[in-house]
Amino acid sequence: MSELKKSDLVKNWLLGYSDETCYNYERLQGLGNTNAFIPIVRALYPKERQAEELKKYLIFFNTEPSWIGTVIQGITAAMEEKRANGENITADEIISVRSALMGPLAGIGDVVSQSICYPILAGVCIQLALAGNFAGPILFEVIYKVLMLGFGYNMYMLGYKKGRVAIIDLLRSGLINRILEAVSIVGLMVVGSMTASNVKLDLSFIAATFNNELGKVEFNLQTGVFDALLPGLLPLLAVIAVWNMLKKRVKPLTIVGIIFIVGFVLVGIKALFGAYV
Amino acid sequence: MVFQAILVALITTCCTWWFSHTITRTWLYPIWSGFLVGLVMGHPVQGMMIAAAINLPYVGFITAGGSMPGNPMFAGPVGTALALVSGMDIATATTIGVVLGSVAVLSWNAYMTINSFWVHIADKALAEGDLHKVRLCNYVPSFFVSLVINGIPAFLIVMVGKSFGTWLTTFPQWIMDVFSIVGGLMPALGIGMLLNYLSKKKIIPFFFLGFALAKFLNLSTMMITAFGVIVAILLYNFSENGKAGEQA
Repeated sequence: MSELKKSDLVKNWLLGYSDETCYNYERLQGLGNTNAFIPIVRALYPKERQAEELKKYLIFFNTEPSWIGTVIQGITAAMEEKRANGENITADEIISVRSALMGPLAGIGDVVSQSICYPILAGVCIQLALAGNFAGPILFEVIYKVLMLGFGYNMYMLGYKKGRVAIIDLLRSGLINRILEAVSIVGLMVVGSMTASNVKLDLSFIAATFNNELGKVEFNLQTGVFDALLPGLLPLLAVIAVWNMLKKRVKPLTIVGIIFIVGFVLVGIKALFGAYV
Repeated sequence: MVFQAILVALITTCCTWWFSHTITRTWLYPIWSGFLVGLVMGHPVQGMMIAAAINLPYVGFITAGGSMPGNPMFAGPVGTALALVSGMDIATATTIGVVLGSVAVLSWNAYMTINSFWVHIADKALAEGDLHKVRLCNYVPSFFVSLVINGIPAFLIVMVGKSFGTWLTTFPQWIMDVFSIVGGLMPALGIGMLLNYLSKKKIIPFFFLGFALAKFLNLSTMMITAFGVIVAILLYNFSENGKAGEQA
């Protein structure tokens, strides 16, 4: 009877954070995950079987490895333990459970880590940092790591203890999507506020002075039109324009190019209004 | 200077060579990697502000399956270092950061391609039953790949940074104005990317609510986050009740 000790599980979980050390297009996190399972295989199997058992990991594997996807490692460790103790679990079964779960959990993990936690944290911390406050980067680092390791550890142990059936049921229940949708609101509000404070477009160089029956009239496109309509209107429109381009599958790099063109055009207009004579 | 350039090169190397996400996960993001660069270069405050500005266009940065819409891991440390040695202002730093990050997508693609090679060596090692070698394949070769394609360029850019700064001052005013407009608009890219990813039609109004609270009421991002959390909890509770009500 070979059992996994708590220390084996912790090693497996921590080594999972090196999943992307040799990140590559061919098998993505395959080699990294193989590395993470060395302690598990060493604890469970006799020496002559270890390399053979590891082969099922050195294949294409890709999930979100730090926050949520650790649950797959937990599930796998539990399956390996049963397999080593003679239960009828084939290597193919382990491979197919892993490949079936990696996509859905990458989806959830990417939303949690990259489109909720990171932008909210970055949104708040960038404002602090821009104001010259060291709390900005330090809070970012500390809170990010605490959340990442907290999620990662608990998801790993959840997978190990509850096993694949419970996790698949949880994925099907729709509970996770409801939570994610609620939390997305915070993200949306933060980027809304960043649109107001960090996107900048000022056309006050488009100004002219007229003479008419009222006398001398000064006209300024920025203060006279846009600011009068709605403060921050132009930054808001810029964000909506970028968003629409992305919806139409324009590549981000192309949008960078378009922003440069806009910059040149606006400076051209500025030149027409006599800024550089 | 050489010593600092070496440190910047090592930081840049590790921003792509993620030896363990327990440490390097946050090195993806300029706000942290640029801050580290600011520290080793002896300008923590200035470095932090520049790093934060470079991070702005990458707020909606999402990588999935190894594809990168830009390379903040290069833009963060190298952009910050370059801005510090050449003395450029924050809006220009954002622009230069985006240019560096866009070009460096190539280095990311090269990194991901070259690393496939080490997997085949690991295949052989595993066939021979050499687990130790499998482990080495995971950690060692990719460091040198990142060192060559990220670290060395970073070192060179820091070394010539000062003359780059002098060269920048010879630019006519209108080019600097273009940089400044572009720098002001770039954050729209990050925000747009995030909206594109987060947006389910029925919760979109919360984006406009966030904008309105910041612009019309001048609330800070922190305060708006607090409001957002309250709204999220309420909404989650009500959606739960709604579901229970249907079943009853």
